Amino acid sequence: MHRIRRLSVALTVAGVVGVAAPAAASATALITISGATSSYPLVSLLANKYVKLHPKKIRFKITQGGTTVGINNVKNGSDTIADVAQEPSGADAGLTFYPIARYAICVVTNKSNPVTNLTQAQVTAIFTGKDKSWSGIPGATQTGPIQVFTRTAVAGVLTSFKALLLEGKSVESSATEEATEGQMRQEVENAPAGIGFLSNYQANKGGLNSVEFNGVACNQTTAASGQYGGVAVFYEVTKGTARGAAAAFISWIDHSGAAKKIIASQWIPIG
Amino acid sequence: MSLLVGIVVVAIVVFVATKSWPLFQHNGLSWLLGGGDLEAEINKMTAATTKPAASVFHLRAWPLIYGTLLTSGIAVVLGMVIAVLSSVFIVELAPARVSRIVIPMVRLLASVPSVIYGLIGILVLVPFVGNHIITTHEKVSVENVVQLTGAGLLVTVVVLTVMITPIMIALICEALGSVPPSWREGAVALGLNPLRAVRAVTLPAIRPAIIAAAVLASARALGEAVMIEMVSGGKFFSPKPIDGTVFLFEPLRTLASAIVDLRDGIDAPALKAAVYGFALLLLFSAFALSVTGYLVKLPLRKYQTRG
Repeated sequence: MHRIRRLSVALTVAGVVGVAAPAAASATALITISGATSSYPLVSLLANKYVKLHPKKIRFKITQGGTTVGINNVKNGSDTIADVAQEPSGADAGLTFYPIARYAICVVTNKSNPVTNLTQAQVTAIFTGKDKSWSGIPGATQTGPIQVFTRTAVAGVLTSFKALLLEGKSVESSATEEATEGQMRQEVENAPAGIGFLSNYQANKGGLNSVEFNGVACNQTTAASGQYGGVAVFYEVTKGTARGAAAAFISWIDHSGAAKKIIASQWIPIG
Repeated sequence: MSLLVGIVVVAIVVFVATKSWPLFQHNGLSWLLGGGDLEAEINKMTAATTKPAASVFHLRAWPLIYGTLLTSGIAVVLGMVIAVLSSVFIVELAPARVSRIVIPMVRLLASVPSVIYGLIGILVLVPFVGNHIITTHEKVSVENVVQLTGAGLLVTVVVLTVMITPIMIALICEALGSVPPSWREGAVALGLNPLRAVRAVTLPAIRPAIIAAAVLASARALGEAVMIEMVSGGKFFSPKPIDGTVFLFEPLRTLASAIVDLRDGIDAPALKAAVYGFALLLLFSAFALSVTGYLVKLPLRKYQTRG
């Protein structure tokens, strides 16, 4: 009995020390990021590289939720940085927008429906619901009603898509809303009559037919040269100017060669 | 210990009620009714990120309540019919070696996490319904209002029924097994054939268990969030029976699936109040179900079997 009591006391002390010691020793800064699902792959890669270069000094917690969610989280202080995939608007006073990369928004259809090209007029007519059938579209092998997929209201890609490729108009209200880029890709992949829009990173993953816009293909080259019309910017957004660990991270993204290499792999560097 | 549980329950209700107070402040109880454009109202709430004006809180959430009642109601009724018939078969009619295998299998089905049913629904059932069952004519007939993608009322009800029926079967089988065999043998001795004996004697005797199973299944169906979010189509839309067969394919949202869909934007104050309002409504319906079940069972006390 006595031995058991001594043993359990020893174990408890060892346990407490084992937990407290590492906690006291780790002075790692924590950066919390949330926001766009379209820039999440890029920011994850950048964060992973940053942690490798500064081991034990920095920790990241990256969630998604959509551009508007990220902006809200930064505004009320629950996150340090927001991933934003749209331009700053009047409601974003007090926030600082740091551009980190550019991306192209591609219009995509199902692989079984290899539409080669859509003009601005056709894209507007399809997504606003004026044109509801595939039978009038040249190059379409589908003949039935067009199934339009769009993003939920919090998505930055949607805001950028409306501004750049939809002449500022809104997508029809009967379109099916997807919460993330991944779900958008999955839905268009599974729906033969589907059409949607997503960043070139997702379009490159294959399984979809990428449509030319006004005769220009949607890829990194045409986006970098300025030929492709639907190029938007990924921003990292902070409340006020970035400070401390967040400022160091953003500065590293803007100036280091390693970050530039990551950005150039699938996206378009700024400037 | 039971005091602690009581405190936790009260704490949850108080917390949810306080967070949802702004919704009641601006709408009274009329947010339970219909008439507004729910999609536009929710979008306005999501966009209003700081100190929203009073008009932003305006909400008419009937399509969500209707969706919840429709899916849970149909699933529970269907499930009860299937469960009672299956249980009678398993306990009374099936040979012993069949029951020995089927009952553990049913218990296994009852313990499958519901998100797996959701995955099967979204990967198999939704494309199947969307591409092979819904006709182009049907899609065109409603294309100005809503898109038929396969995700909608039919798949939701099917997956929900498959999810809640095993529990009911397990409960009713146990109850059937606890009815003294002498009761049924007595009926048979009086001249009833075995199946009618079951219907006349055993089933009324297990009415409390059937009600308990229905209450449990309803509670599980009401609270099912992630799975329904995957297969219900995600539109603030009230399927209309008047549309004929298209009614089965129309998308909808339930209270719980709306909470899942809107949880990311919950930092917007108006949306936070609305989402907590949905949660409060779900809490109350769970309590109401328990109380109703208890009240319905009271007059059936005389059928309590012993041993």
